[in-house]
Amino acid sequence: THTTRAQRVPPGAGMASRKEGTGSTATSSSSTAGVAGKGKGKGGSGDSAVKQVQIDGLVVLKIIKHYQEEGQGTEVVQGVLLGLVVEDRLEITNCFPFPQHTEDDADFDEVQYQMEMMRSLRHVNIDHLHVGWYQSTYYGSFVTRALLDSQFSYQHAIEESVVLIYDPIKTAQGSLSLKAYRLTPKLMEVCKEKDFSPEALKKANITFEHMFEEVPIVIKNSHLINVLMWELEKKSAVADKHELLSLASSNHLGKNLQLLMDRVDDMSQDIVKYNTYMRNTSKQQQQKHQYQQRRQQENMQRQSRGEPPLPEEDLSKLFKPLQPPARMDSLLIAGQINTYCQNIKEFTAQNLGKLFMAQALQEYNN
Amino acid sequence: MSRFFTTGSDSESESSLSGEELVTKPVGGNYGKQPLLLSEDEEDTKRVVRSAKDKRFEELTNLIRTIRNAMKIRDVTKCLEEFELLGKAYGKAKSIVDKEGVPRFYIRILADLEDYLNELWEDKEGKKKMNKNNAKALSTLRQKIRKYNRDFESHITSYKQNPEQSADEDAEKNEEDSEGSSDEDEDEDGVSAAAFLKKKSEAPSGESRKFLKKMEVRTRVTLRGGLAPTTEEDKKAAEKKREDKAKKKHDRKSKRLDEEEEDNEGGEWERVRGGVPLVKEKPKMFAKGTEITHAVVIKKLNEILQARGKKGTDRAAQIELLQLLVQIASENNLGEGVIVKIKFNIIASLYDYNPNLATYMKPEMWQKCLDCINELMDILFANPNIFVGENILEESENLQNVDQPLRVRGCILTLVERMDEEFTKIMQNTDPHSQEYVEHLKDEAQVCAIIERVQRYLEEKGTTEEICRVYLRRILHTYYKFDYKAHQRQLTPPEGSSKSEQDQAENEGEDSAVLMERLCKYIYAKDRTDRIRTCAILCHIYHHALHSRWYQARDLMLMSHLQDNIQHADPPVQILYNRTMVQLGICAFRQGLTKDAHNALLDIQSSGRAKELLGQGLLLRSLQERNQEQEKVERRRQVPFHLHINLELLECVYLVSAMLLEIPYMAAHESDARRRMISKQFHHQLRVGERQPLLGPPESMREHVVAASKAMKMGDWKTCHSFIINEKMNGKVWDLFPEADKVRTMLVRKIQEESLRTYLFTYSSVYDSISMETLSDMFELDLPTVHSIISKMIINEELMASLDQPTQTVVMHRTEPTAQQNLALQLAEKLGSLVENNERVFDHKQGTYGGYFRDQKDGYRKNEGYMRRGGYRQQQSQTAY
Repeated sequence: THTTRAQRVPPGAGMASRKEGTGSTATSSSSTAGVAGKGKGKGGSGDSAVKQVQIDGLVVLKIIKHYQEEGQGTEVVQGVLLGLVVEDRLEITNCFPFPQHTEDDADFDEVQYQMEMMRSLRHVNIDHLHVGWYQSTYYGSFVTRALLDSQFSYQHAIEESVVLIYDPIKTAQGSLSLKAYRLTPKLMEVCKEKDFSPEALKKANITFEHMFEEVPIVIKNSHLINVLMWELEKKSAVADKHELLSLASSNHLGKNLQLLMDRVDDMSQDIVKYNTYMRNTSKQQQQKHQYQQRRQQENMQRQSRGEPPLPEEDLSKLFKPLQPPARMDSLLIAGQINTYCQNIKEFTAQNLGKLFMAQALQEYNN
Repeated sequence: MSRFFTTGSDSESESSLSGEELVTKPVGGNYGKQPLLLSEDEEDTKRVVRSAKDKRFEELTNLIRTIRNAMKIRDVTKCLEEFELLGKAYGKAKSIVDKEGVPRFYIRILADLEDYLNELWEDKEGKKKMNKNNAKALSTLRQKIRKYNRDFESHITSYKQNPEQSADEDAEKNEEDSEGSSDEDEDEDGVSAAAFLKKKSEAPSGESRKFLKKMEVRTRVTLRGGLAPTTEEDKKAAEKKREDKAKKKHDRKSKRLDEEEEDNEGGEWERVRGGVPLVKEKPKMFAKGTEITHAVVIKKLNEILQARGKKGTDRAAQIELLQLLVQIASENNLGEGVIVKIKFNIIASLYDYNPNLATYMKPEMWQKCLDCINELMDILFANPNIFVGENILEESENLQNVDQPLRVRGCILTLVERMDEEFTKIMQNTDPHSQEYVEHLKDEAQVCAIIERVQRYLEEKGTTEEICRVYLRRILHTYYKFDYKAHQRQLTPPEGSSKSEQDQAENEGEDSAVLMERLCKYIYAKDRTDRIRTCAILCHIYHHALHSRWYQARDLMLMSHLQDNIQHADPPVQILYNRTMVQLGICAFRQGLTKDAHNALLDIQSSGRAKELLGQGLLLRSLQERNQEQEKVERRRQVPFHLHINLELLECVYLVSAMLLEIPYMAAHESDARRRMISKQFHHQLRVGERQPLLGPPESMREHVVAASKAMKMGDWKTCHSFIINEKMNGKVWDLFPEADKVRTMLVRKIQEESLRTYLFTYSSVYDSISMETLSDMFELDLPTVHSIISKMIINEELMASLDQPTQTVVMHRTEPTAQQNLALQLAEKLGSLVENNERVFDHKQGTYGGYFRDQKDGYRKNEGYMRRGGYRQQQSQTAY
């Protein structure tokens, strides 16, 4: 479902506005205001050594709120991230959502919308530099072609842009799940070439592990907010925190397993396809070989009879090279499987911990 | 236009001709045909009288008459057809025409036709009203006749100048012709034998000979005498018409319609009068004074038989003649031999009456046939010294020598078999919902009686082969009937009932079961042809099944090994096989053997062509796929309605047994990925039920079953019960069983048991333990039953639980894999196949060094086996062997 809107090209004007956008960081409520001045130059220089993503609490809340209000089930919500690069940090200070796309308003101009939004935000002195986008996910199934293409075009236009993946389901279980990803330089190269044939990928030495890289995230709040949080935490009842300790985990795990199974099926199919291709190519090779040999023999005979040899024919016309199946999809599937596996691993590890803890408690109580 | 009619003198010939036609037509004769009664030389001389010229001209005049008729009703299409025929006929008559000159009437029709067409052509109004075909024909005909008439131009002009005279001339000529041809009429009369026979049978038999003589001396005068008044009247009428005509001639166009009517009336009237005297004419069998001897009768018989099967032979007349011959033979005391011989032939020609296999006998024919066979049987029983048989050659027949045993060629069994087939055909072709069908069905008793008689006869005299055949006939008439008497007897235990009643029952005839047993055993022992034995076995099984003797029926089916090779049998046997299987299934159901019932019905029901497979009707769907021929063949295979098996009952039995099997199975394998459907049909019905946007109370039988299945899924046996057994379903299905109440009780119990199982499968996970008492209350089953059901489930490893005897509770074990575990197992399987596929790719790169990797693959498979749920059990069963 999330393929509909994912192909979102950041407006070319975004670059321009960023370059001229000088004093915009003044509005940032974060405590990092001090370094904002330095970031200006770096952002402009195009050095993409972003080692860390620093997200404002406000952004996190806005994303969560967006999903809560608009997303449901497998529906995903998306939006634009605003901020700027400071030294090796990407600071995300604000964001705004994309409206849910329906079939009715097909003439809805997304670029126009983005521009309008950013301009309006600028008027009220909010960061208006485009630094990426966010998307919610359903059980971590975000490694898709759509996301890849979308992120590629972002990164192509704005080097340091990232995609924030928000997992509402995990969050609902008690631990906020928000991750920042970007494409590896290698993958960027490949995507630029637009050649996803097996050979090209082999040459680029790309595996599913090297497709996306995760950038560490820091959530930054103002001191005032931090203080408030501490106070609130003290006040809150113990029971409110127990979500994290819930032992009823089977549903989540089952869902993950099911999704994983689906992907494994896809993978199987992909492999079968590739297998067929391989078989067909080798068959063709054989035929080609036979043809050449026959040709040679005939020419030999002709020579002995003193006739001119047959003209050379274009073999590639006779044997049209078969279209190799694109390998990108299987890479993506593999990547997705990897994500699932990690999810499950993480989840089970936590749960085992919980179970042992529970057991220990039980024994202690008895 | 109707000049031909109106000219006074020729109307006589006209009338006689039409009279002839009237008589000959109904019996299917035409002019070209040979008269049936070719008796003696008289005929030959007469034939000479009819010269080639007459013949040709008669042909022409006939055609002309048709054209005129068509002209009167303005049927131009018909005119065109006939005109073309006329042209051809004229071509044939060319040689005569060359000799005699062009006949006037021919010119007249040409001229009239042209006039007529021109009139029509100019009548724009009429042309508009004309239908398309006629209009088209009109233009074609007009062109044709123009072209054609060019050859006769001089004749036509002369005719037109002086139409009256030429008509008269022609009339005279025609009169001569008619006189000549009237002689032949006498021969044609032979075909009015029907009338003759009626008369004849009325007449006391002694007189019949005299009668024949009288027939002999009948003269042409009678004929003429009969015609004379008609002719005069005709003349008058015709004259009047001619006068009218003369008057009307100038304004012909306007008045023509009236005239036509008049003409028509006149014509009609004439014909009726003309026909009357001719009816009285009789055929004669033998020449006057011939002494009726064996030889003569046989000769006559052969003469009649020779005409058999020839084109144009009047079959009805042939039958009449043969019957006449029998009468003569019996009157002359020629002995039974001859009579038997002739009777054989009568029956044969009765069968021959319908030229077409598809059509069936008319009721009167059928009755005649039955009577005849009965009479024949009477004779055969009365005269044990008559031998009949197919193997007796014509030459070695002995029909008269009473000292030696009489030998007659002919096979009574074949006749009876044919009769039986005719009976089936009649039943097939009668609307099964009409009173007529019931009437016909009453004949079944007669058919059975005849077969029984033949059976008795053959048991004395026939060969084993023949006995087998007749036994099979008997079986075929017995196997499908439910023996209510025997059933009654079974119900009332013999020791309790009074002796006399029992005796009485026995006197009424042996049990059909005993009868079947006897007949079938004989066939099993003696039959040499595979087909009869197969049929007998199938019928036997059917009969067993019908009377709820399930184990006998099943054993017989299994012993016969018919299931293996039935596909090589011919379609009717296959249909019988299907019927038997279905009956077997229904029988199993009645016994409460759900699984067997399901298995037996599976093949028939899963195809969705039960109707076709049981020979109970053709499917519309495949109507396009087959041509006319195939359809006819299929139609002939249909089983008569009174043998039908109720299809709704069949489907209901199937669905209910599928429900009883499938619902617990589904509950047990809820989360199993490799679960298989037991019954596709049943699942289909369920899906159909699910697809309904609005679920009202069930109406049809299927809806009832679906609703019941849903209730059962929840373990709600009471609702399930109320859906399966209620007024509607009773009326539709259950009351059709002979022991409806017994079936219902069985069914309720089954529902209770299976609901209990389903309940345990579905809800065992939410119980730690459950008291058997509670279960027994819930499902209204007694404790031991609950105990046994649960024990069985535990033993079969369907339910992971144990019984706690002191507290009478079931303790659940929770060894069932959870949903996650199941998923994990599935995932493992999928990964296995993924790895396998992947390795194939690898193989490819490496080239195939099969061995090593293959071994590994096997390894994967083995692993899979462990992972699979059923793996453990499979291995166990393997080691058990």
